Amino acid sequence: MNRSNTNFVSKIILFSGLFLALNPVVAEDKPLNIYAVNYPVKFFAESIAGDHASVTLPMPADIDPAFWEPKAEDVAGLQKADMILLNGANYAKWLPKVSLPLFKLVNTSSEFRDAYISLNEGVTHNHGTGGKHSHTGTAFTTWLDFSLAEKQAKSVFKALSRKQPKLNAGFVQNFIPLQKALLELDVQLTEIGNALNGQALLGSHPVYQYLRNRYKLNLESVHWEPEEAPTEEQWNTLKALVAKHPAKWMLWEGVPVAETVTKLEELGIKSIVFSPVSNLPETGDFLSIMNENIARLKTISN
Amino acid sequence: MIDSFYLAWRYIVFNRVKTITLVLCISLISFLPFSLKILLKESEHQLMSRAITTPLLVGAKGNSLDLVMNSLYFSKEKPDFISMKAVEKVMDSYLALPIPLYTRFHARKYPIVGTTVDYFEFRQHNIADGRSFAMLGEAVIGVGVATQLNLKVGDSLLSSPENLFDLAGVYPLKMTVTGILKKTNSVDDKAVFVDLKTTWVIQGLGHGHQDVKTIQDKSDVLSRSDKLVTTSTKIKQYTEINLDNLDSFHFHGDPSIYPLTAIIAIPQDDKSATILRGRYLSEQKNKQIVRPKRVIEDLLGNIFQIKEFIDAVVFIVAIAMVLAIFLVFSLSFRLRQKEINTILHLGCSRGTVVQLIVAEIFIIAIFSGLLCFSSLLVLQNFQGEIVHKLFIS
Repeated sequence: MNRSNTNFVSKIILFSGLFLALNPVVAEDKPLNIYAVNYPVKFFAESIAGDHASVTLPMPADIDPAFWEPKAEDVAGLQKADMILLNGANYAKWLPKVSLPLFKLVNTSSEFRDAYISLNEGVTHNHGTGGKHSHTGTAFTTWLDFSLAEKQAKSVFKALSRKQPKLNAGFVQNFIPLQKALLELDVQLTEIGNALNGQALLGSHPVYQYLRNRYKLNLESVHWEPEEAPTEEQWNTLKALVAKHPAKWMLWEGVPVAETVTKLEELGIKSIVFSPVSNLPETGDFLSIMNENIARLKTISN
Repeated sequence: MIDSFYLAWRYIVFNRVKTITLVLCISLISFLPFSLKILLKESEHQLMSRAITTPLLVGAKGNSLDLVMNSLYFSKEKPDFISMKAVEKVMDSYLALPIPLYTRFHARKYPIVGTTVDYFEFRQHNIADGRSFAMLGEAVIGVGVATQLNLKVGDSLLSSPENLFDLAGVYPLKMTVTGILKKTNSVDDKAVFVDLKTTWVIQGLGHGHQDVKTIQDKSDVLSRSDKLVTTSTKIKQYTEINLDNLDSFHFHGDPSIYPLTAIIAIPQDDKSATILRGRYLSEQKNKQIVRPKRVIEDLLGNIFQIKEFIDAVVFIVAIAMVLAIFLVFSLSFRLRQKEINTILHLGCSRGTVVQLIVAEIFIIAIFSGLLCFSSLLVLQNFQGEIVHKLFIS
């Protein structure tokens, strides 16, 4: 072998070694250590990887994963992961404040960045003569548009296949039914959207932007929490909203307190739960909960 | 024989000024080529060792040497900036893994290297004490920085202002040391590593301040509406990031256009490297992709050309020196003719006279050799720092 050939081979070994050291293909018998930033993404990863991955949702079950505040110890755990599945769309508000390995991050919504919905609901401020800026951002419950959820699941599938190419056949086998189920939900919701035909709806929290846009729902949101009774000011805001948006139904993230339900009914507004299921559910899984959501929404259209 | 050495030694001690001059001249002329060789070998080692293990560098179009020297050795010459979009481009290509670098700021005299935690894995660095940076405002320091500034885990380190006269500039950031690297025998020993986002906070692209919605002091608020709060510059901005104020830190503008100085690109294989390089050649007008090994080889080529020239000069000077020494000895013998005649009259043979002269030359040569050798040992001890100052920083 001449010298140039030796150099060529040694370079390939060196670069491949570096690439593999930083982005290793994990041994087949060792389950991947995956972290997810919310439950939908965790569900997609678990459904596709099966026993070949251990998927962790690092935040406590009783908080909104988007607003989790990790400690340094939590970040240390994330830094040791084989893969960190992000939702994208500016979902995890804690991401800009922590240091994570770039190679291990997978933005599951990067392929549809153009479909992100911009928000304009924050307080704008500026400092002295500095430029104005606001802390508005992007709507992040992307998975409530099931065509986007399917793309997110596909992105998880591709990332897993890249990480463990030899298990690709198994991943394909697991991905196809998930894809089918998500697209089925999309069809069902499209039909419901058509049946609702622009009927005014309310959202208890501004988390239904993707659901509204994809399925053509005439939905306006207030900023209420299911476990808290709204203040007088919040009731007044609602009354003003209902005056120009005569809705008969309000979609809730979780079961609202009885007092709120009664008071809403006095205004002629009924409550139904449409859970975005951002965090680990107590019972059921992503698909079963979404099916329940859709079944409840169907009652309105009927 | 011993008698000859004794007499030669007594003569040398008696004529100490002449002897010292001769020893210094011979030592110096021997030291020069050897020292040059040592320094060049060290510079080649230092420059090439990092260049070989850094397959590709992406940076702004311009001087490729500045790009390589700044990215690999954190030299003071800063290349033009590129944006985070370039990282996404490399990542999305699936041809290489990118490690972003932002080496614009300093803490005292040490460079602050904004990067991701992947850098340590890439350079195979281990943490000797503490842990890697995990949160905004945390820093991992090289062992040299820890020793020189007497820092340990939990201590703080302030970033230095870029310009002392920039009174309106951003506040220095107080960074918390969370880890100290094991000795790496590279420039990383004298660097401060932080998350890329921390360097953007140092630059002022991100900041933390008191909540504008809850400001009590009316003089802090210039105007307020439902959607806009205009505050005066009096508003308290945080110069340290801790658990209490971490939540208030935020970034403004589009993060994809935030600046970087370079990207280390680690291709999957040689084919991926070639494809990636091809893309930058054909598509990227404002960026360049370089192979650090090639750039450093070119630099070393120039250095070795200079070395050849210096070698030639040293050779000529050495010949002149030998001739001068020969002249010194021959003149010395003429001056010592009476002394030699006395030795002969005392009954010594001419061979004894020759023995005396040889012994003198031998002793001078031994002293010169010892001086040269010890100087080279000292040089070898400091070669790393000398090379860094001469060729790298």
